[in-house]
Amino acid sequence: MNLLAPLRPSPARPSSLIRSNPLSRPAHRKCELFSSAFLQTRRVLVSARDDFAIEARHVNFSVPTRQGAPVSILKDCSVSIPAGQLWMLLGPNGCGKSTLLKILAGLLAPTGGKVYVRRPRSFVFQNPDHQVVMPTVEADVAFGLGKSNLTQEEVRSKVFQALDAVGMSDYMQRPIQTLSGGQKQRVAIAGALAEACKVLLLDELTTFLDETDQIGVIKAVKNSLDKSEEVTALWVTHRLEELEYADGAIYMEDGKVISYGDPARITDFIKDKQAAYINDMNC
Amino acid sequence: MNCTNCAFRTAPFAPLPQTPLLNRSPAGSLRPSCRNPRPLVLPKRSLLSSGRRSLRARSSAEDGSGGGVERWVERLPRGVLGADKVLRLIANATASPISQFVAAPTTFLHSVDPRIKLVWLLVLVVLPARSHIIMRFGLVLYLAFLSVWILPRHTWMDQLGRVTLLSGILFIMLGFGSDGVPPLVQSRTPPPAMVGLPNVPPSFEGYSYLIMKLGPLRFTRKGLSVASTAACLTFTIFQGASLCLTTTTPEQLASALKWYMLPFSYVGAPVAEIILTLLLSLRFINLVFDEVRNVALGIVSRRISWQKLTMMETIDVFISYIRRIFKNIFTHAEQISQAMIIRGFRGDSNKHKIYLRSTSSNGMADTVSLLCLMGIVGAAILSDYLIV
Repeated sequence: MNLLAPLRPSPARPSSLIRSNPLSRPAHRKCELFSSAFLQTRRVLVSARDDFAIEARHVNFSVPTRQGAPVSILKDCSVSIPAGQLWMLLGPNGCGKSTLLKILAGLLAPTGGKVYVRRPRSFVFQNPDHQVVMPTVEADVAFGLGKSNLTQEEVRSKVFQALDAVGMSDYMQRPIQTLSGGQKQRVAIAGALAEACKVLLLDELTTFLDETDQIGVIKAVKNSLDKSEEVTALWVTHRLEELEYADGAIYMEDGKVISYGDPARITDFIKDKQAAYINDMNC
Repeated sequence: MNCTNCAFRTAPFAPLPQTPLLNRSPAGSLRPSCRNPRPLVLPKRSLLSSGRRSLRARSSAEDGSGGGVERWVERLPRGVLGADKVLRLIANATASPISQFVAAPTTFLHSVDPRIKLVWLLVLVVLPARSHIIMRFGLVLYLAFLSVWILPRHTWMDQLGRVTLLSGILFIMLGFGSDGVPPLVQSRTPPPAMVGLPNVPPSFEGYSYLIMKLGPLRFTRKGLSVASTAACLTFTIFQGASLCLTTTTPEQLASALKWYMLPFSYVGAPVAEIILTLLLSLRFINLVFDEVRNVALGIVSRRISWQKLTMMETIDVFISYIRRIFKNIFTHAEQISQAMIIRGFRGDSNKHKIYLRSTSSNGMADTVSLLCLMGIVGAAILSDYLIV
């Protein structure tokens, strides 16, 4: 198996013309957006973006050490995720999955490369305590709707639907600190679902969940994707069995995208790696 | 273990005659007479039994007297308040959230409008300070009865137990302490006998300023007044707030506060920011409790041999504990601020609406509550005139 299989071909267009994330775009590059080349090919870009909800091209990210030397976290990562699909991002601990996800969410600025993510987008943290900001379930799920001009009834309806989707509609008035880790995680997901975002960036959602809750949460996300063709999700996980529900998968290692594409192919690839590792251990 | 007091280095040597440097203890351990008094227990496969001995070189001077001033640490009591006990106490104390909302069973108080509850809280602060002693104790009994009636058994027992203990301690300390010292030492005027004035005649109605005497301590009418005011005020504030918090969601409280503060927004008060800050604080308090408990449990679970640590090392562990708590809390704060940004908050509280659920009050509960409130305020006012 070719470990460095070429990435799935994306629609032909110059990578420099892909609009970068405004949060991560250096100020001096803003003019690029309005260059004549950009304006001439804008029509092409719009059609390309209709195909992909998430695009990252040659993304690099590094952090400086105390001595000032840069430590590379992401090395030339490129991914393109079609709209309306659920993709999973896998890889060993410390390979840069969460960093890539935070760059896609706009929480980190890449040191190189271009990023395009459809908006509105939503991000769910690995630890639900970092995501849930209000003291009770109902108010927290409604927090993300505060930017929209909705009536109380509309908010209530959306909150109920989102909580119902994750099986937490009976817990609307419960204080957050009385919930278990899995229940908090569901509330965090409900908050993301209630916002009806076009892109869901989900960072190891099932870490705190048992098997039943795990499947329930995946199905909840899958349902939200099925309801709207515009919703796209990128899901970071360590669990191979979750690949069954994915439309595509990306495998990362040491800050690089190693393999990319069909979930079955990624599963085989990881199983081969596991087998090779076990063989090495036994020899 | 980083011991900075003295450094021992153990090395095998050829057999030597017994020297005064090594004080052999009955337990078979070698007891060095230096600043660190704890014996260094030899391993089972002792070097002495194998014909070799351990020679420890001390870096400190020795007066040779043994058991002298340098052994003062050994005489300190141990296990009275061990570090392990302290950490376990911290973990247990932060395990039960203080006065969190109890959603079920839904009671009469759950249905009362939160704005009325806030007025009740204000009244419970003012009345014990301004009304007759009988009213004060009446309020305490009323609150205790309400708590027992409304709250689940384990909740009211926990709450009432703590508040009663605190109020009781305050009552005893202030009752005996406020007027306990004989006023002679404070008096600036000479006693009546020295200026030829007759003593104040005793009361025919049995009035006595001194209520009780307990050895050198005196429980006087002044003490009773001060103690009853402070203890009742403490009880009503704590129990009233607990009762309110257990039957009202933070969002309902915030909405009631917002309603009362709305007029201040016309003069430029940042009402929306205050309300958002209040809600975030109410959420964050629990995270702080969680962190304090988790880090304490993390240290306890390491099964540190506290007896083997020096005082400085124990302090070092506690400093690391506090440092870790702060670090984790700041990480939480950073992550929550990131979550708020990603969820659409852009720093302007006026533009980002917070969904505060409309109150679930019903007219009957509100009416009854208001009538009770007016009855208590009326009784407090009348008590000043009717009860002497």
